[in-house]
Amino acid sequence: MALNFKKETFREDYTYSNSDAAIKRFPFPFPEDQYMYSVNIEPHTKGKQGTVCEFTFDIDEHYVAECLDKKITLEQDPGRYKALPHMMDAQWDFVELTMEALAQDYPEHFSLKKQGLIWTWENKPLGIKDTFTFGDTSTLATEPFDYIGRQLQGDFVLLDHRDETLYADAGIVTSQADWSLAFNVGMSWREWHGPVPRATELGVMDRALKYLLNLQIGSPVRRLNWTMTVNPRLDTSPENYPHWGGERNTVNAENIGDLIHLRVELQTLFRLPRSNAIVFSIRCYLISLKDIATYPRWAKRLHRVQKTMHPDLIEYKGMTKFHPMMVDWLAKFDDGETLAIGTQPE
Amino acid sequence: MSMINVKVAAIEQVTPLVKHFTFVKEDGSSLPAFSGGSHVVVSIDIGGRVHRNPYSLMGSPMENEAYHISVRRQENSRGGSVFMHENVTVGMPLKITYPMNLFSLAKKGRKHILIAGGIGITPFMSQIADLKRMGANYELHYAFRSPEHGAFAAQLKESCGDHLHCYIDSNATRLDLEALLSDQPLGTHVYVCGPSPMVVATLETARNLGWPENHIHSEQFLSPPIGEPFKIQLARSNIEIQVSAEMSMLEAIEAAGVEADFLCRGGVCGRCELDVLETDGALLHNDHFLTDSEKASCKKIMPCVSRAKGERLMLDL
Amino acid sequence: MEHGYWIKSKPVYNALVWHEKATAHLIIAKNQGVLVALKLFQQRQPTQPVTLLYAQDGTDYAKTLNKVVPAGLDVLNSEQDLLVSLKNIMPNMRMGLRVYVAGSEGFIWSVAEVLKTFGVEDADIMKELTDTLARTIYCVHCKAITHNITTNIGKCSGCERMLFVRDHFSRHLGAYMGLMIDAESPGELPEIEEIYP
Ligand code: HEM
Ligand code: FES
Repeated sequence: MALNFKKETFREDYTYSNSDAAIKRFPFPFPEDQYMYSVNIEPHTKGKQGTVCEFTFDIDEHYVAECLDKKITLEQDPGRYKALPHMMDAQWDFVELTMEALAQDYPEHFSLKKQGLIWTWENKPLGIKDTFTFGDTSTLATEPFDYIGRQLQGDFVLLDHRDETLYADAGIVTSQADWSLAFNVGMSWREWHGPVPRATELGVMDRALKYLLNLQIGSPVRRLNWTMTVNPRLDTSPENYPHWGGERNTVNAENIGDLIHLRVELQTLFRLPRSNAIVFSIRCYLISLKDIATYPRWAKRLHRVQKTMHPDLIEYKGMTKFHPMMVDWLAKFDDGETLAIGTQPE
Repeated sequence: MSMINVKVAAIEQVTPLVKHFTFVKEDGSSLPAFSGGSHVVVSIDIGGRVHRNPYSLMGSPMENEAYHISVRRQENSRGGSVFMHENVTVGMPLKITYPMNLFSLAKKGRKHILIAGGIGITPFMSQIADLKRMGANYELHYAFRSPEHGAFAAQLKESCGDHLHCYIDSNATRLDLEALLSDQPLGTHVYVCGPSPMVVATLETARNLGWPENHIHSEQFLSPPIGEPFKIQLARSNIEIQVSAEMSMLEAIEAAGVEADFLCRGGVCGRCELDVLETDGALLHNDHFLTDSEKASCKKIMPCVSRAKGERLMLDL
Repeated sequence: MEHGYWIKSKPVYNALVWHEKATAHLIIAKNQGVLVALKLFQQRQPTQPVTLLYAQDGTDYAKTLNKVVPAGLDVLNSEQDLLVSLKNIMPNMRMGLRVYVAGSEGFIWSVAEVLKTFGVEDADIMKELTDTLARTIYCVHCKAITHNITTNIGKCSGCERMLFVRDHFSRHLGAYMGLMIDAESPGELPEIEEIYP
């Protein structure tokens, strides 16, 4: 099925919106009425047709606009891309993984032709066509990870596996929930997760790491994470916090349904074959409270989850200013009906 | 767990005790790429009992038409290697796991010292391909019993040149670990694979000379030891299983039709870890994964290599 | 998020003790850090060769040190001189060398940065904090590094924003993260207090 790519923005005038189909396939992250951190990792197997897990990497109606927003962010701050020198094998592994998956899953938009190590990559939506030698960095205009990372929605981190932990030794990060690649690059698992409250005490982080160190080629895994963002802004980076932080003051009882967006990250992890590195892919989905409320089941669930949210998580996720207002706004949708476990909209 | 269907494309006797097997995909497609030092677990059915043994991949990680492993015939083992030597023939279908790496090169290393004893040469075969491709600084020190037992020595001489140093027991040439490890530049990593005394000696020498732990790497797959038979109870499956003398606990669990996790089947990766709910006897921990205090606590066990004594061992499975 | 909340990226500095197993020792100290080095020699005089680089920075323990480490002592005036000297001697060092650093946090991480270029990783370096708790901060907005911050909020030497000093530390940059404190309410600053004297 050919996708209709929308023209929209994720900054200044914020023209971003979701079509009805996009709302319906939104990866709603709350199967139960309460939420706390857990090792919510499952195999990244093919999901049902039309869902965000149908393919290895999800491409949707926002693809072209998101790639453009990424380009603007990278132009303003080249530090959003960084790769330490020992990650070159992992960079090429990443090129292979992503190009093969996109060409196979979306043949009407992407194609990959191989003649031995001479590869020709075509990206029709972005109007790109290049021929290069796989493994030879001099045949591309930029580093290979940079080259293909710009042609994908979402953020990517390449992790080196050594000393029984993972190190974030490369990344392309432009749609992050308030963390900085330039600051985190080179950190180990425990270091970059340092600021996360409660998770260490719950033992979540140690168990998740143990699981990931055994991640196998050909058996990727996924999990969802979430936060709330004022306006549909992809680049909620600490770098640009002076530009977006103030938007938190603009929320009021009238506009909250339009302004506050649930931000869900579909995180997938793949073992890379030649480098033994792991790629962490963070694909960000945004939906306004109003759009969530088009499905009463979701609105009820979100109300209960937010009402019982642990105060440390409210603070960590930057929701302190608007959280009570949001719970009030959601309350009017909640009739107290018992909801079965599950994230489905209806 | 996902497995790959392969068939045996070639078998070659490389030394009196070692055979080299070449596998290709059964459907003729290419195999997944891998990294130097990786292994696969080969599954073979011997008289209705499935044996699964880990073997290092030897070929170049850049070549994905075929995988290569070598098997040393181990007379008093539980039969896996003897079966590989005597019953596996060209054309035979086999199942293998995807490659996994518990013995990878340190990418930030400035120099790499590889120390192999006998069949322990196998993981280095693929690592050398990687080191050469990266143009890295390395030395390979290879010890074997006598000239006819030096598997792949000629081939290595050709590909490694001056980087290769051989030590042959029968010629009384010996590797002086202390001399080797006391004069290496900063940022050097040492890797050892071979018989247990050699691994232990290398680890001890490096530690005594003040090498930091994360510069010392070893691979030593354990094969599940033969032991006394014992019984286990699986709490969640609500069954009791007899583990015979030459079967591992993991194999007995699988034979009873219960799904259990595993990856290396050699006591290294940690994937098969089970919680011990109750026990009356001693646990015989044989793995390299649990810490000493975890072993002493009697709360966890690695069923791929460990055993038990006593009447009661209740596991959370 | 007050009690028990501890950001794991923040380095923990320990009291220096000799590594029993080594082929050589290298001690690098600045200012009061050198007292820690002297304390090491109170523990024991190791059998392996010892090199000691000492940046005086106004202190004067050279005489005392000369008695304890007659062979390997190198007394320098400043941190800058010390780093130059360190770069000169590192190429001769071999595996088995154990490294000990004592001084302010800024000094420790400047030394670690040089050592890294010679293949000595942060995990392999023993560190003891002396002199001051002053922090180096990295401005996440303009990327400038500002040294010697002793307060909860400090001014960025690059963009001049007022930065809140987070407990999040990057070993790669040798600095804590500094985040604009008044982005959501310009000009409204909490009280500035000295907390890293
Ligand atoms: C291996 C790849 C991963 C990377 C690179 C990564 C990176 C990060 C980063 C940078 C943060 C933000 C920390 C900050 O505030 O500065 C974070 C948050 C977090 N991570 Fe990960 N992570 C990874 C995998 C995982 C996995 C597998 C789990 C599973 C439990 C996990 C659980 C969390 C949680 C619970 C948070 C807090 C998020 C929130 O409340 O919004 N992470 N991660
Ligand atoms: S399967 Fe790897 S430790 Fe048991």
